[in-house]
Amino acid sequence: MFLERVLCRNFRNFDEIIIDLNKNLNIFLGQNGQGKTNFLEAIYLMATTNSHRSSISSELIKWEEEESLVQLLLKRREGKMKLAMRLDNSGRKIEINDNQLSKVSELLGYLNAVLFSPEDLKLVKEGPAHRREFIDLEISQVSRYYGHLLNKYDHILKQRNNLLKSIRENRNNTSQEMLSVWDQQLATIGSKIILKRLEVIDKLKILARLSQRKITAGREELEIEYEISLNNFSKNLGEAELRNLFLDNLVSKRDQEIKRGYTVIGPHRDDLILKVNEMDLRKYGSQGQQRTAALALKLAELEFMKSETGEYPVLLLDDVFSELDNLRRKALLNVIADKIQTIITATDGENLTGIKNNSYNIYQVEKGKIKRVS
Amino acid sequence: MNPYPRPMGKLIGELSKLPGIGPKTARRLSFYILGQNKNEVKSLADALLEAKEKINYCKICNHLTEAEKCSFCQSESRDQTQICVVESPRDVVAMEKTGEYNGLYHVLHGAISPMDGIGPDQIKLRNLMPRLENGAVEEIIVATDPNAEGDATALYLARLIKPLGVKVTRIAHGIPVGGDLEYADEVTLSKALEGRREL
Repeated sequence: MFLERVLCRNFRNFDEIIIDLNKNLNIFLGQNGQGKTNFLEAIYLMATTNSHRSSISSELIKWEEEESLVQLLLKRREGKMKLAMRLDNSGRKIEINDNQLSKVSELLGYLNAVLFSPEDLKLVKEGPAHRREFIDLEISQVSRYYGHLLNKYDHILKQRNNLLKSIRENRNNTSQEMLSVWDQQLATIGSKIILKRLEVIDKLKILARLSQRKITAGREELEIEYEISLNNFSKNLGEAELRNLFLDNLVSKRDQEIKRGYTVIGPHRDDLILKVNEMDLRKYGSQGQQRTAALALKLAELEFMKSETGEYPVLLLDDVFSELDNLRRKALLNVIADKIQTIITATDGENLTGIKNNSYNIYQVEKGKIKRVS
Repeated sequence: MNPYPRPMGKLIGELSKLPGIGPKTARRLSFYILGQNKNEVKSLADALLEAKEKINYCKICNHLTEAEKCSFCQSESRDQTQICVVESPRDVVAMEKTGEYNGLYHVLHGAISPMDGIGPDQIKLRNLMPRLENGAVEEIIVATDPNAEGDATALYLARLIKPLGVKVTRIAHGIPVGGDLEYADEVTLSKALEGRREL
């Protein structure tokens, strides 16, 4: 899929911009604070219904304006479509081909986009929460039901943690018996989440291993495994068996959980193990190796989305070229060459010399104005 | 300067405390009430007070009633072997609209929610157990809301009641009747798939 045209009106620092995009490569150059990332944010908003930078709608509207509009002309295999989001202080409204839809979430699934920012390079190095977020975001984009499960799990977890705390503090005679009620719900939803993650990681690890080989010319073998917080876990458990194992684990952690006042096992405590040539990258990898693995994961995400939706997503590269060395830049360009529409932002064109695509557009971004320069 | 005389401001203030009534609607209602003749206004005020004073909760099932027992608990034509457990009196009204249910009710006035400090003792659960003692009740139908709190309440009830040899069932959730499958959202559809039945 690719974007033919993007219109932003009163969005962040744009008055009105209308940009016709190249179906291959688009490079947006400009100094910091001119609006490059705002442009990517508008596109990412249309893919996920949320901004990656702010959860407050009003921040997306230009200062002293009432309403902002983002409109896209999208070309998919099935044909062209027009997507629009209107934001005002009452919320956001969605239009598809000029028909207004009742729920914002109905926008999901039309435009798929993968965003790669300098933050993502820390994916391997930072804490487990980042890696969980990576896998969760990825699955949510292809399965709305998974997103629903995550929300529900979060909610149950909060309730259960509250109960654990009030048992610890012996507030209004709360009984331990109540815990088993929340255990059952936590285990039911938690098992579904774990199984879905395992299924996706099985596909992802093959794709990531291939990417890693390409980037390192076959020198590094990347392995990904799911690190589960449940004891006695073995692969190939069915949903009912996993649920029972989860429940057994909860019972065995009972005293510890009450003492601490929160839930110590479950998908919210799991992690991804990333190894290169048998070495744990999270702890022992060099910065270069960690970045390579992060890049391999992102490239695997592109292939994964293709396999799930039948089309490559749009790739948004926010200022990452300057953070990659020549080798990795080349590997990235090879993957996207002529098959994935890519939008790159950078402060200058220096790092972009390796680009040999057949066609690309260059735009200059300055003070909320964007014009095509070649 | 305040554009309304004080009593009118007070009326608007009281009305806008009601659910679903914003300041604009409250103003409209206030002007309307002021335009009515005194008898009409008095009958509204009386109705408000009378409802509050005369309606209390049924001793047996906690539903709203004017007497000691609600009309369901008094009736002999209702099926005495089934009790449907709901979260609020509004749910009783909804169930009755179906015309399909002819058993008794039990209104909990809430659902278990540790975040809000609501445990089994904070909802009206205690007077359900004595109702099961004489052995007449064969089935408890749990119709709490299909969310985490409603499910927790249902599971807790099942744990409490099953050992007594009474059947505990949960109402099904899924596709709205008369709807097309293709228009159901993925979440509802997945839920319906989980709850499928053999034909």
